[in-house]
Amino acid sequence: MADVFEITIWCRGVTQDMEGRHLSLVLANGAAKGGKFVQAWDNYADLPDRVQVPLRKYDRISDEEIEMRYLYENDHPQLVLVMDDTIIKGIDILRGMPKGGALVVNTKRSADEILSLIPNKDLLSSLTLVDATGIAGGTGLESVDFMGSEGGVEAVSVAVGLAAPLAGAASKVCDKFTLDNLVASAANKAGVKEGAKTAVVKTL
Amino acid sequence: MPKEAYMAGCAATANGAKLARVEVITSYPIRPYTGIMMELSRMVAAGELDAEFVHGEGEHGQVSVTQGASAAGARAYTGSSGVGVAYGMEVYSPISGGRYPCQMAIADRAYDPPGDFGSEHTDVMSVNNQGWILGWAETPEESMDNCIIYYKIGEDPKVMLPQWQVQDGYFVSHIPNKVSIPDQAQVDEYLPPYNCPHALNPQNPTNHGPQIFPDQGPAIDLQRAQAFLNTPKVVEQAIADYNKAIGRNYSAWLEEYKTDGAEFVFFLMGAHCRTARFAVDHLRKKGAKVGMVKLRFVRPWPTAQVCEVLSKFKAVGVIESQTCYGGAMKGGELQHEVRASLYDSPKQPAVCSFMAGLGGEVISLEEFYNMAKILEKNAKQGKVDQYVYWVGFDNGI
Repeated sequence: MADVFEITIWCRGVTQDMEGRHLSLVLANGAAKGGKFVQAWDNYADLPDRVQVPLRKYDRISDEEIEMRYLYENDHPQLVLVMDDTIIKGIDILRGMPKGGALVVNTKRSADEILSLIPNKDLLSSLTLVDATGIAGGTGLESVDFMGSEGGVEAVSVAVGLAAPLAGAASKVCDKFTLDNLVASAANKAGVKEGAKTAVVKTL
Repeated sequence: MPKEAYMAGCAATANGAKLARVEVITSYPIRPYTGIMMELSRMVAAGELDAEFVHGEGEHGQVSVTQGASAAGARAYTGSSGVGVAYGMEVYSPISGGRYPCQMAIADRAYDPPGDFGSEHTDVMSVNNQGWILGWAETPEESMDNCIIYYKIGEDPKVMLPQWQVQDGYFVSHIPNKVSIPDQAQVDEYLPPYNCPHALNPQNPTNHGPQIFPDQGPAIDLQRAQAFLNTPKVVEQAIADYNKAIGRNYSAWLEEYKTDGAEFVFFLMGAHCRTARFAVDHLRKKGAKVGMVKLRFVRPWPTAQVCEVLSKFKAVGVIESQTCYGGAMKGGELQHEVRASLYDSPKQPAVCSFMAGLGGEVISLEEFYNMAKILEKNAKQGKVDQYVYWVGFDNGI
């Protein structure tokens, strides 16, 4: 059985449900374009219909067929993305991460401030900061759409808002997908590129 | 041209209903099947599907509307999950008794105690003797295909029976997979519009009465039983025709996976077959003489096929996500059906049951390996040490 690379995305219930789904989809589609086996899915047990609850979306990426597709959660994420930096305080967003993982955060705060909120920051090999909200424009809370949840199909183009710059930022610390393939997978292509361009990677 | 897509079971099943050109859809929300109705309502609103969409006030009303629509001659479609399936219970027998070939999609879900979103076969298996055709799908694509095939079977004049088209909640309904969506023209050719022989019509009134006299009961029941006797040939033809028309490779009743030279097999249905295939692959590489047999229909139950296929092996492990508390052999209903099917066979494999996946638990590869160890022992000694093993627990019952 081949190694499976796990990605966990933290976002807010309802207001960021679509962007969270889109981020998991665009990362999976980008990796699939590079020949990987992928899986993108919602957390089934998180009660995603509750407004603003901390919510998780997931990806699995592998060089071979993913055998255990039914596991509800990623137990050992090597890459964690956070769509709303206020989730970090008080929640163990790195739960299960093996040492040497990467964290990407949508924030305007400093790296030191973010790291001061993460008690188990020694797990990280890098922290990447990107102002996805600024790049996407608006508050980042406008896009509410549930058509792609609960086993349905996305009715909106994938990665129009916050997901685009966060995907671009992820390409700087993860080799499972290329920037070109992420751009090709997203509706907001300029957003993906801008995210990659402006993201600041702090090696730890 | 068929369209390649990547979608979860709910969306794929909705595409199956669209391809079947369902005319009346009735809904009531409950996870995990809700996504089917979400997608169908979008299709209707967008003008992609010409159907009446009726939202019930609960599953009892929802299924009743389906019965009425089918009686009026429409190709009617509904669905539910878990306790929703239970709440519609009263209406299932009148639908099969009236011989209305409507379809109900079920993404299975555990009953409460206490509430659980997880997949379990308990909801459907607790209503399975109400005269409906019934089978499980392993993948989103199979769920979509079964939707079309089941209408073909159910609407056959020799059958005229409703159908439960089931997929495992979450594992199939919510996890996207590759789906090849057939051409509408191909499906239209395979499944012509429903031609109801006794549709309600004010110009030609007929009585589909809700009440009968006692002496009419046995005759109606006998007709339902006879319809099930007619069903197997129709099933085999419908699946052969679908394979040919759409380019699939479905077995009618049982799919055997790597059973050549196998001495013991996993016997199961639905989503967990996928994990079982990988487990068989890994165990075979280590020299274990193991295979898998996948069941495609629970109703009609393929007695002769189960007997013939399972008689070839020394041991059989029935993996079931449903139990019969206090029942025979202390196991689930699948084991009862398997043992009954093998009763007249001169060659008797050692049959035990594994309770696994209850409450939506994932069955891991390691758990399949542990089950294989027990089956290997049973094959060697020619008998079982106990009838049931609760997977993940030490104490067998």
